[in-house]
Amino acid sequence: MQANRRQLFAALIAAAAARKIKAADGITIPGKRPLILHNDRPEDLETPVKYLNTWVTPLDAFFVRQHIPRPAAIDPAKYRVTISGMVSKESQITLADLQKLPQHTVPATLECTGNGRAFYTPKLPGIQWGRGGVGNAEWTGPRLSDVLKLAGVNTAAKFLEIDGADSGVMQTPDFVRCMPMEKVMHPATLLALKMNGETPDIHGVPARLVVPGWDGTSWVKWVIRLTPTAKESGGFFMNPGYRYPKYALPPGTPARPAELEVIEGMPVKSTLTFPEDQSKITLAPMVIRGFAWAGENAIERVEVSTDGGAKWLPAQLSTQKLPFAWRLFNLNWTPKEPGYYTILSRATDTAGRVQPIVPAWNPSGYLWNGIDKVGITVEKA
Amino acid sequence: MRTLLVLLALTTAAVAADPAVIEKGRQEEQRTCLPCHSLRIIHSNRLSRAGWNKELDKMAGWGTKYSDREAILEYLVANFGDDKPVTPPDMTTDGSAKK
Repeated sequence: MQANRRQLFAALIAAAAARKIKAADGITIPGKRPLILHNDRPEDLETPVKYLNTWVTPLDAFFVRQHIPRPAAIDPAKYRVTISGMVSKESQITLADLQKLPQHTVPATLECTGNGRAFYTPKLPGIQWGRGGVGNAEWTGPRLSDVLKLAGVNTAAKFLEIDGADSGVMQTPDFVRCMPMEKVMHPATLLALKMNGETPDIHGVPARLVVPGWDGTSWVKWVIRLTPTAKESGGFFMNPGYRYPKYALPPGTPARPAELEVIEGMPVKSTLTFPEDQSKITLAPMVIRGFAWAGENAIERVEVSTDGGAKWLPAQLSTQKLPFAWRLFNLNWTPKEPGYYTILSRATDTAGRVQPIVPAWNPSGYLWNGIDKVGITVEKA
Repeated sequence: MRTLLVLLALTTAAVAADPAVIEKGRQEEQRTCLPCHSLRIIHSNRLSRAGWNKELDKMAGWGTKYSDREAILEYLVANFGDDKPVTPPDMTTDGSAKK
């Protein structure tokens, strides 16, 4: 009894010490290497772009965006997706049902709609994402169209409402999105059960939506309900959330609700991963690296400038030229002399869209895709 | 009339800088914001008075009950106004070995 009390006392002291150490060490997210911490409850984590130098982004480096707290871990055996609304038979689909359907793998870039918000002037409320709210993964699961066939969708349905298992705190709105049937039925739109062959809870398993080429907000995690509807529906996260002006506004001015529309496909964009911004590098040959993506299109070319945009050189691109997924690029370069250099990258997609110098300001700070820029100091060898 | 306006503006500025009001606002932030989310999301933003006002309205619409709305607004403007320098975010520590 005495020993037990002593043990209990020692355990309490150890627990207090552990809490102290944890507080001093900061925030650790299981399964994730050191990431940029925008928020810890709920988790909003940005990837340092130096980790984004491979075609498939490792899971432990992949960015995380939660609007509201993620749900408690879902027991795969108890997991159900309800298909309701304009269907011939309301259905409860199990994980085993989803696993029995033909499985497809789609490589696709997932980007937070607000990636780059921090670069807009005037400043805008929200997570101040820099350049790393983006990653490229291989998503595997049944086509969303095959899942809906299990319940028989009425042909008059024009939209699909999608609800995730995450729910708001107090009166924070539930996370519900709505998508036109044309995109729902696209063969690359999946209800993914795996990401890079794994099942990471933080990224939305047992099943998350994969909406290739569309903004991250469309990719609903922990999907629990699919409801075909005749009209576009949805709460805050459809309207006023995640809307973009139909035409450019003077920076700093509000938009009238009628001037805003739902965001769908993403713009063309490139990001430099090496050299690191504001780094010092010894004068020697180097390889400038980065990645480029273009929503529903593929990347046609990337140009790089090492003199602030006076001259542009074509970069070499990785061979896979796919819609939805990014391409890596590189350019061999030897600085002529020591000094400060401004390196830029500019992507063009297969539809001829070009990354702009100045992206259009918008009241929520979405879709930043300005030409990427890093500054480096080259020192004598 | 102009003198009156200038005096009024000076009075408002004096209230804005009152450390007791700012402290009250800080406590109000702890009480009203922490139940739903951590404070990093607030402290990483830099907004004008109008911008913070709008955010407070948005949160009120989602169920936040302020006991001293003026104090929290003054606290936010004084610490996280659009004239304040941006602080780089922290990094998480390495959790890649944990599942």
